[in-house]
Amino acid sequence: METRSLGEHERSTSQSPRVIALANRAGAPAGHVVLSAERISKSFAGVRALQSVDFDLRHGEVHALMGENGAGKSTLMKILAGVHASYEGTIEVDGTQAAFTGVRDAEEAGVAIIHQELNLVPELSVADNIFLGREPLIAGVLLDRRRMVRAAERLLERLGVAIDPESRVAGLRVGEQQLVEIAKALSLRARILIMDEPTSALSASECETLFKIVRQLAIDGVAIIYTSHRIEEVLDLADRVTVLRDGKRVVTAPIGELSHGAIISAMVGRELAASDRGAAVQDGAVVLSVRNLTLDTLGPHGWRRTLHGVSLELKRGEILGIGGLLGSGRTEILESIFGVQRGWRGGSIVVNGETADIRSPVDAYRLGLALVSEDRKERGLHLYESIGDNIALPSIGALSQFGLRAFARERALARGMVRQLAVRCTGIGQQAASLSGGNQQKVVIGKWLATEPRILLLDEPTRGIDVGAKQEIYKLIFDLAAQGLGIIVVTSEMPELLLLSDRILVMCEGRQTGLLRRENATEETVMRFAAPGMAAWPHGTAS
Amino acid sequence: MKALRLLSQTKLYWGLLIIVLIGALTSPYTSSGSNIFLSYENLTDVLRQVSITGLVATGMTMVILLGGIDLSVGSVMGFATVICAMLLTMRGWNAASVMGVPVTTIVIGAAVALIARFIFSGLARSHDVGAGQRRNIALSPSRSLWIPSLLGLVAAIAVAWWTASQVPTRFGVLGVLVVSSCLALALGAINGLLIVTGRLQPFIATLAMMVSALGIARLTAGQDNAVVPVYTGTNATEAFEFLRSMLWGVLPVPSVFFLAAIILFGAILRFTTFGRYAYAIGGNVEAAKLSGIKVAQVQLTAYLLSGLLAGIAGVLFVAQYRQGKPDAGTGLELDAIAAVVIGGTSLMGGRGGLAGTFVGVLIFGLLSDILQLQNIDSNVQLLMKGLIIVCTVLVQEQNLGQLIARWRFSRTREGGADPKTAESARLPSAAKAQFAREDLDEAS
Repeated sequence: METRSLGEHERSTSQSPRVIALANRAGAPAGHVVLSAERISKSFAGVRALQSVDFDLRHGEVHALMGENGAGKSTLMKILAGVHASYEGTIEVDGTQAAFTGVRDAEEAGVAIIHQELNLVPELSVADNIFLGREPLIAGVLLDRRRMVRAAERLLERLGVAIDPESRVAGLRVGEQQLVEIAKALSLRARILIMDEPTSALSASECETLFKIVRQLAIDGVAIIYTSHRIEEVLDLADRVTVLRDGKRVVTAPIGELSHGAIISAMVGRELAASDRGAAVQDGAVVLSVRNLTLDTLGPHGWRRTLHGVSLELKRGEILGIGGLLGSGRTEILESIFGVQRGWRGGSIVVNGETADIRSPVDAYRLGLALVSEDRKERGLHLYESIGDNIALPSIGALSQFGLRAFARERALARGMVRQLAVRCTGIGQQAASLSGGNQQKVVIGKWLATEPRILLLDEPTRGIDVGAKQEIYKLIFDLAAQGLGIIVVTSEMPELLLLSDRILVMCEGRQTGLLRRENATEETVMRFAAPGMAAWPHGTAS
Repeated sequence: MKALRLLSQTKLYWGLLIIVLIGALTSPYTSSGSNIFLSYENLTDVLRQVSITGLVATGMTMVILLGGIDLSVGSVMGFATVICAMLLTMRGWNAASVMGVPVTTIVIGAAVALIARFIFSGLARSHDVGAGQRRNIALSPSRSLWIPSLLGLVAAIAVAWWTASQVPTRFGVLGVLVVSSCLALALGAINGLLIVTGRLQPFIATLAMMVSALGIARLTAGQDNAVVPVYTGTNATEAFEFLRSMLWGVLPVPSVFFLAAIILFGAILRFTTFGRYAYAIGGNVEAAKLSGIKVAQVQLTAYLLSGLLAGIAGVLFVAQYRQGKPDAGTGLELDAIAAVVIGGTSLMGGRGGLAGTFVGVLIFGLLSDILQLQNIDSNVQLLMKGLIIVCTVLVQEQNLGQLIARWRFSRTREGGADPKTAESARLPSAAKAQFAREDLDEAS
């Protein structure tokens, strides 16, 4: 058995060394519909998630699926991928009716999904993950590691990425993990690949690699359903776009027929006024100053310096943006200031003119600092608790007397925040897990605003949030700055960085490589400082 | 639908109700025709039986809520029984009093100092509670530090004098209660410190304590003296008998301790910031830490309280069974964990509470009572216990509604789906056969 299949593989190699030979060898013409879904409806516990949605996917196209959170994108994708087995309507794959009872069914039919939250086992190797549950065996019992590693190697090679198939997944960057997921889908010979927000956690250069691969896959005949919150990206990548709103299809059109604005208004259902920074209220008082911040972290290869002497100053009412690629030390700066760094910290931090010894969030909180972490679900929220409990949590010590909780005051505080931030919910008793991403983010911000901070550290405040909510968060950040808070924002999204920041600190590989004023900052200047290899440039040339 | 939700929300109490019903229906009758199971004597006796496990389970609940576990409670309780029995029966300085007097002095002194400091800082804040003001106060704790320290010192001296004065004449009931619980609390504190500062996994740290506390207990009791008997009237004070009597002829004293612990700690979990923090830490440690909660402090407190309650349980054990022995609590930790889990507290932490634990403890107690009334072999009891754990947790964790929905769904699919369409979902069999083997080599 083994020799036979190995022989086969050699033959196919000689035939087409470069082309990703996926299924659909019948040579279907381009433009032929590989998947069509008609009048798909689905409700969860009485709530209509999808209402009679039609969708079709052609051979070799990248079909973007757009919509705000809660519009039904995920539900539709999950139905197509066999995750949800009960729905109304019909799905046809290659003209035959399909009724997937599970993901395995769909995979057999050539439909694979890559979820936003990656489904990899961190402690296993890349090859192990790719073939998880389908491991090649010797004599039906023993794991054939060699063959598995070789096959994984070939898959990764074809994707054009240099990942060692024997390395542990936990040691890979998120972008690389994403590629492992794609390799896994390819190993399933997927002809239809569903990608749910693949770029939400990727840096700009990782995104480029991913786009290249997606385009190549499409050329090779894979039909791709693609969702993203980044409209620029979709305009660049997709052939057609379908916009969903409130569970209904608004429009399906070739990408050339829709402008950026048209897509947004189709998604939101109204025109969005772009928010802008109002007049900055700055009296020049420095609320936070960081001198020569260093951080040493313990990695797999011993101690490593993650931050090399970062210095920054934050004034009252100022928004300081921190730009840079993923892993350049942006998050580490915020964590070090807040006292939750993972490793040894050096340097000094001065808050309101006094040297601060911040050893834990408790100290940071007393000094009036607040950190909204990038990982909203893991580190920001108690998902299974109510909105009210979440908002009140950091403040209940201050609200209570003799350790007795003041329920009325807690509720009043939470209600006030929910109103102030316009969190869309049924009430403060609603479970945080049931909110959309944007509203969850508002709750996390609200939880910190309730402590009346003077310095707000925001790490990726709009990750995974839809367009409408993004604008609201921007407006909120501007308002808070206008009220005199000093704000530091870390973000991977260039337009957001340029829109929000008064000044931009650019990081590259743990070093601060540039400090740009708002008027000097463009995507190019920021990228020039952020790209590795440029670190030798003098500090702050453009400031 | 609504009925189902109600059923699901109150499922905790249904198990208890069913057990009571079974008990009432299967119970034998006395010659005068009254139901033995439902008799007041029987029910209070059940309460008495479960009190020791119940006290331990109360502490365990708090630890488990935090996402931890305390395996050491059985051994710690055994240690407390030895200390208690020795202090009651032996005059003069011996292993128990040599350990007991200084540890009690330190524990009570520290406790008084901490409580005083807590009250003082609360008073200092009471006029300007509310947002905004808090930071300045919190930043200057030194101002109010010396009065609590002084109070603690005074308390420590008083306790040292009081305990030492009892050594030559044997300890009284209050004395053994205080000293045994303080020693147990100290062991709990070691657990907590290992976990909080040593970053040990709770399972490991308390496993180590489970083993070593048994060793300490045996060393304390001495080798020839593995069991320290406490005979009525001969070497135990009259007052100690109180701990096994009926309070005003209404409730057995041990169960008063148990009920008081449930109510007190239930209220603490519900109405204090400590309780809120416990749930927050159990639910999501990372988020709790970032929210400025002193995670270490809360965790340490929980282990400390778990030890304390095990100590009190130990004293009640001595009163109940008139002996102290190192292995008195063997297996107790598992009974306690089982009761907590049956009560719906998640072993992952963050969900559950003491009401559930109370029910869980009662279910076990009533079950063994029913089986005893039926004269069923005690080994069958063990089997039944196991079954009950599995059944209740299945119902608790799986969420009854979901279970039913899934069952319904699978029925409709089997019956309703057209076999033809189901088949057509798959590829032609030739293609399918390829997938099975070739997916690896396709890669090339």
